[in-house]
Order: sequence, then C-alpha cells, then structure tokens
Amino acid sequence: MFLRQIDLTTALRPLLLPDETLLFVQDSIGLYEGKYKIPHYQNGHAYLTSHRACYVDNEEPRKYSVAISLKEVERVEFYAGFLKSSPKVTFFPKLSKRASLSLRGPNSANISNTASPRTPPARYGSPAHSLSSPTPQVSVKATWICPICSFSNPVPSNFDPSTANIHTPLPPCLACGIKPPLVHVVKATISSMTNRQSAPIAPVPLRPQGPAGNFAPSTSSDNLSDPFATPTYRCPRCTFDNDPALVSCEMCGTSLVAMDRRLDLRDGVNRVESPGPSLGSAPLDHDIIESIKFSFRDGGEKIFHERLKGAMVQRKWLLESAPPVPKPGRNSGTFDDGPYAGSGESLDRNKSVGIAALERRGMELRKTNELVIGNAFEDLEALMTSAKEIIALAEQFASQRNITNGNTTETNALVSQSASALGLVTTKDMLGSGSNSLYLSELSRNLAEFLTDDARGILRKEGGIMSLVDLWAIFNRFRGGVELISPTDFEKAAQLWDKLKLPVRLRKFKSGLLAVQGRDRTDEKTIASLQSWLNSLHSIPPPDKVSWDWTMFGKGVTAQETAEHFGWSVGVATEELEMAEERGVLCREQSFDGLRFWENWIVNLPT
Amino acid sequence: MSTEQNPKPFHFPPHHSFPPFFTLQPTSSTRASQLSSWSALILSYCAHHRLFSLRFPSALALPLFCNEGLGRRLRAGDVKAVLAWMGSAEGGGRVEWVDGGGKKGVGTGTGEGEILGEEGLTGRCWVFWRRAEEWAAVVEEWVERTGQKGVVLTLYEIGEGEGTAGEEFHGMDGELLRRVLGVVVKRGRAQVFGEGDGLGVKFF
Repeated sequence: MFLRQIDLTTALRPLLLPDETLLFVQDSIGLYEGKYKIPHYQNGHAYLTSHRACYVDNEEPRKYSVAISLKEVERVEFYAGFLKSSPKVTFFPKLSKRASLSLRGPNSANISNTASPRTPPARYGSPAHSLSSPTPQVSVKATWICPICSFSNPVPSNFDPSTANIHTPLPPCLACGIKPPLVHVVKATISSMTNRQSAPIAPVPLRPQGPAGNFAPSTSSDNLSDPFATPTYRCPRCTFDNDPALVSCEMCGTSLVAMDRRLDLRDGVNRVESPGPSLGSAPLDHDIIESIKFSFRDGGEKIFHERLKGAMVQRKWLLESAPPVPKPGRNSGTFDDGPYAGSGESLDRNKSVGIAALERRGMELRKTNELVIGNAFEDLEALMTSAKEIIALAEQFASQRNITNGNTTETNALVSQSASALGLVTTKDMLGSGSNSLYLSELSRNLAEFLTDDARGILRKEGGIMSLVDLWAIFNRFRGGVELISPTDFEKAAQLWDKLKLPVRLRKFKSGLLAVQGRDRTDEKTIASLQSWLNSLHSIPPPDKVSWDWTMFGKGVTAQETAEHFGWSVGVATEELEMAEERGVLCREQSFDGLRFWENWIVNLPT
Repeated sequence: MSTEQNPKPFHFPPHHSFPPFFTLQPTSSTRASQLSSWSALILSYCAHHRLFSLRFPSALALPLFCNEGLGRRLRAGDVKAVLAWMGSAEGGGRVEWVDGGGKKGVGTGTGEGEILGEEGLTGRCWVFWRRAEEWAAVVEEWVERTGQKGVVLTLYEIGEGEGTAGEEFHGMDGELLRRVLGVVVKRGRAQVFGEGDGLGVKFF
C-alpha cells in the first residue's frame, strides 16, 4: 500500500495528522505509476506535507485522493521535463517492496536472484524488518474498540505497531474521548493486519507445492542452487527451513502466511506491465508499485523537489515515536519519564497540603516555564524543536492576560487560540511561483476550513450568517499579523467557494452586502422555516383582538419579530423576508404600524 | 351612478378580509394574482349592485375599497393602478375612463397609473362587467323575446322604460347605451335615427 487513500477536510484539503505541517501546494498535477498514467488521477492538487506527498483530485476529491507516506519512500528522482514532457518527481518505494516486485514475473525469480541474489534474504532475515516489511503500515481500515464505550475507532494511518512506544501520540476515542492503552491499539492493529493478510490466502494445502522453481520467491538462494531439493519455506525471522505445509515457523512461531502474498502478486504483474498509455485501474488495490510520478504540468516542480528533499532529510515522522522533551524532575538530575511523571508527582504532592502546596505548585510551574523558555531561545534549532511547548505557553499567557484585563470576548479567545492552527494556513511562499489563482483557491479552502471548524464554531456564534467584512477582520487577526490578506484577494477567494464546492457560500443581498453562510443553509431551508413558523401562528390566538380570521390567515410578522424568533439580526431578517417575498411565498402589508409579512394568501386563495 | 340598487348584501370573497390584499404587492407574480383578484372582485361587486360606472373620489368610500371591519382600505393610488390594469389589454379592457380619462390622471397602462398614484383620484370610469358586445347581444335578445323587431324604440324606452324593468340593462347610462346600440348598428341588426333625447332605434 504505497499509495493510500486519504481523509480530506471539509474544504477538500488533506486532513493533517498530528504534528504534520503543510510545506507546499501545487495545482495541475497528474500521477503516473511507472511509465503509465493512472486513470482519474490526472488533474489535481499536490500537497506536500512534512509527512506525506498527497494528491487531491479536482473533480472527485473524495474518491480519488491519495498520499504517499514519505517514510516509505526510498529515494526521489527529479526529471526536469523535455519538449512536451512535463517535469516530474518520481517516488521510489523502499527496497523491500521493490525486491518483491521484481520477483513477480514468470521468470522473475531467476532474474532477480541473479541480479541481486543477496538482497532479499538479507532484508527478510533481518529481524528488525520481520514484522513490518510485508506491510509496514496498517491498513487504513484497521480499527480499535474503545474499552470504555466500545466505540469502534479507526487506527490513525500513521500508526506503526512496530515502532510504537509509550510516547507515540494516540488519538482519544472519538465517542468518549478517553485515550486507549497503547497495548490495546497495537493488538487491534496487528490483528487487523493478520486478518488482511490471510484473507486473500487460501487454506494452507492450496499453497503451491510444485517444483522449487515456483518456490524461489521464498527468497532462499539455496533453493536456486539446488532446484530439485525438497521444497522448504524459510522463516523470515530465524531462517529456519520449514515444511511448506506449516502455517507458522516451527522454530520461532513467526507466521509464514504473510509470505505467500508475494505469490499472489505474480498475477498482478501482467496487468501492471502490459503496455498501454494508461492503467486499467487505479493502483490503490494492489500493493506493489514500482514508482509513482508526480507530473507538474503547470510548474512548481523545483520548489516541490526542494521542499521534498528537505522533508526527507528532516524526517519529522520519526518524532512521533520520540519521547517528549525531558522535564526536570523534583530532584535535579533525574528526569521524569512520560507516564510515570504523573504518579511520582502525585506521591510527592500528598506530603504537603494547603496553601503551601498550592504555592509550591505554582513555583514549580513557573520554574518549568522558565526552563522551557530558556532552552528554547538558546538557539534557533532549539526553538524549532520546542516550538510546540512555546506555543502552548504563549497561548496560556495570552489567556491569562485576557482574564486579568477582563475583556474576554469570544473573538479575543479565538485570536489567542490562533497559534495552534498556524500549520494549516497557506501562505504565498508555500505555493508554486506566480500562480495567483492557486493562492486564491488555497485561501478559499483555508477560509472554508476556518469557518466550518466545529471547535471554533464561528458561523454558529454569529447565528449562521456573518458579513464578509467581519470575517475578513477575524481571519486577519487570526493570522496573527503575518501574511495578512488584502480585501481584494479575500473577496476573490470567497467567490471561489461555489466553484470549489466548499461547504460555505457567499451570499449577496439586494443591498449589495456580502455575507457568509453555510452551504446547507439554503434559501429553501430558510423559507421552509419561515413557513412553518407562520403556519404555527394559525393555531396561536394573537394577544390582541384582531379584525381578521386568524385561524385562516394567521398573522403578519415584522422583521423585528422574525429576527427575535430566529436569532438573526434585523437586517438579515429583512433580507430573508424579502427573499421569501420575492419567491412568492410571502406577501407584504404596508400598514400604519409598519411593514408586515404574511403568508401569501393572495396567490393561494383560501376557499 | 354609484348608488346601490341591489338590496341584498354583497358577499365578499375571503381575501377581501386578508389585510395584505389592501397593499399592492411589489413581487410581480403575487402582484399579477392580486390584480386579477381585485379585478374579479370589482366586476362582481359592480354587477351585483348594477353599477355601470364608478365616480371618484366618492367610490373610494364604497365597502368594495374600504373594509371597515378589517380597518383596511385600498389607497387611491392603488385603486388607480388596479383600474388602470383592468383597462389594459392584460386586464381585458374592463375599465374605461369617461372624458378621455388620460387627462384626468389615469392612463391605460399600469405604469402610468402608478406614477400618478398619490394624486387625487377624480373622474368617472366605465366598469364593463359586460362588454359593449355582450350588452348588444343582451339587448338584441330582449328585442327578439318581446317581439319588437321593426318597432322604433327610443333610448329612454330601452334604458328607463317600464318594459325593461326586469332586464339587466335597465337603468343603463344613456351614453353607454348609445355605445351598445352602435355595436348593434355596426352588425347591421338595427338602425339609429333622430338626434338628442329623441334618438330612436329600429331593430330588424
């Protein structure tokens, strides 16, 4: 699974994993597998992140979006383009896969073994790779069951059971929010892996028992040298030659079933290597891929390649399993270690109680902060590594300042939370050279994400609709004074929402006011809610005596009443009422006490 | 002749007691529906009370335009717009202003009526709850029924005479009657002679 289906945000951008940052975006990208174009993956955006290279299709982003995990990439090649051929960046998967790939042809056993006779055994013989080499990553469909609420959660796609340790960040349960024990997730992952591996495999007896030539893929070069020897199946872990009928190694108990997958893959090889301008099917289904090319039809390849090289050198994915920055313990010199730190502290805390303890805790906190800040600013490198802590501290200070000033409006809170989302923001230097339209479309997606983020709930707080100017102000404050957006760019980006099929829309009122609202809040829905409200007035006797038959006609409502009822501003209520009137749903009555809107009984004459 | 001659009360349709009915709607589809409702209401009201013409501004006080119970009235400008619409081709030419109309401030198009909206509404207009052609047919049918073909009748006899007391056209304004007879003459079914009040007509 070199290419992996990815999750997208509401704005149809790749959902970034924890700690993942966006490095570069480029549009007009096509994908190749080997020499051949992959159908449906020919026009999209490339998103380079610190962990992945993603392709998001323009037409059907939910269906055709894939990513290459950089940690599975062996090397990257750059092709500058020639005449009509676009520049390309080629990703080669790690050797283990390519080795098995080269074994796939009918005669491939001989070829591969003569070409590099020692490589495959060396790989498989290495215990470090024994667990992860056939499928070093979990299937995206792996799930773990929460032990608290038994909700079935997906295992994060970057979770690797072979390297996971107590410091690996685990997402909490989606339903109850309780973090699972690591062991639990690892177990679930492994079991799903074995399920997946054994699924396509028939029961043991069906495994080919023929001449040893067929069996060469078992990577034993001994078999080659003596083709008529008793067929054996070499354990990848302990190199013990097992009887082919066995499912697991006689010596060490390693599952041998997984190895059979390479036999299946032989069938796939003809299809892959059959000549043709493009492949018959998307390569997501089969695991073995020679190489994936990103074809840059609209430039940007140089920066992409530069940043990609940088990311490959930085290897940020290694940080996932790295322990957090050590914190000084109670006794200087010893370091508390991850989960044990909490228990140690609580033991100590029990010794002192009351105000003294509180003061002491405060003191400790300040000391830690001091240390973190001190370390961070020692040099730039250190600042980069401890960026997360510094941001957390900065936010904490910001919120404290707000509390002391006593002006904690919601917008202020919003701004102070901003730093945590910096990774999501597209800046002009992240994008390919000179493509202003790409900048706008990315900005448009940024905005949509910003608006639809449930954690912030900007639209909800504003009653589901807010003016574009307000949004512009909040968004620029949210960017923290960096890379501010010009009003022109902002309006253009907002106008792209419709084109990009994003979940928010720009609405232009008759007065010319531009407002932002969710796509799901259509005029039809607004009208329906207005109608049901007016309809309900037929059964509620009006407070004052009225001269008309209220059971038949209901009651006229003013914009003021509508605004109160729906929680809109009066301006919005007026616009919505007039919109409904224009659609012929409502009609107006201009009377002494102002403008009232009624259900349109003029057209739908009551009998 | 805006006096009511029918003792039976007119039964107003339900939308006459719907408050927004008395505000001319800005939305075109709603407005079209409203105008045709008003037109139908005015025609049936005039037919009920045998009103051949409406004289303004006194007609504005009719229960037709002013629903006392509801406390709503159709403003003069809106009445003008409604009547103008009724006089237009769209409204079927059911209203025609006497004395040329236009100089009295109401044209035949809805737009013109709106522009002049707030000015005082004066003058008299025909309300053709039957068109002149339809009246001609009714008169001819009466002549046929009563066997008066070839007989010379004065206009007074037709309009006010005892012989027509039960007929629909009884009490018809002389001017309108002359128009109706003009239609009959044009069809070649009658001949008008004489002048002034002594105008006579002979059907054949």
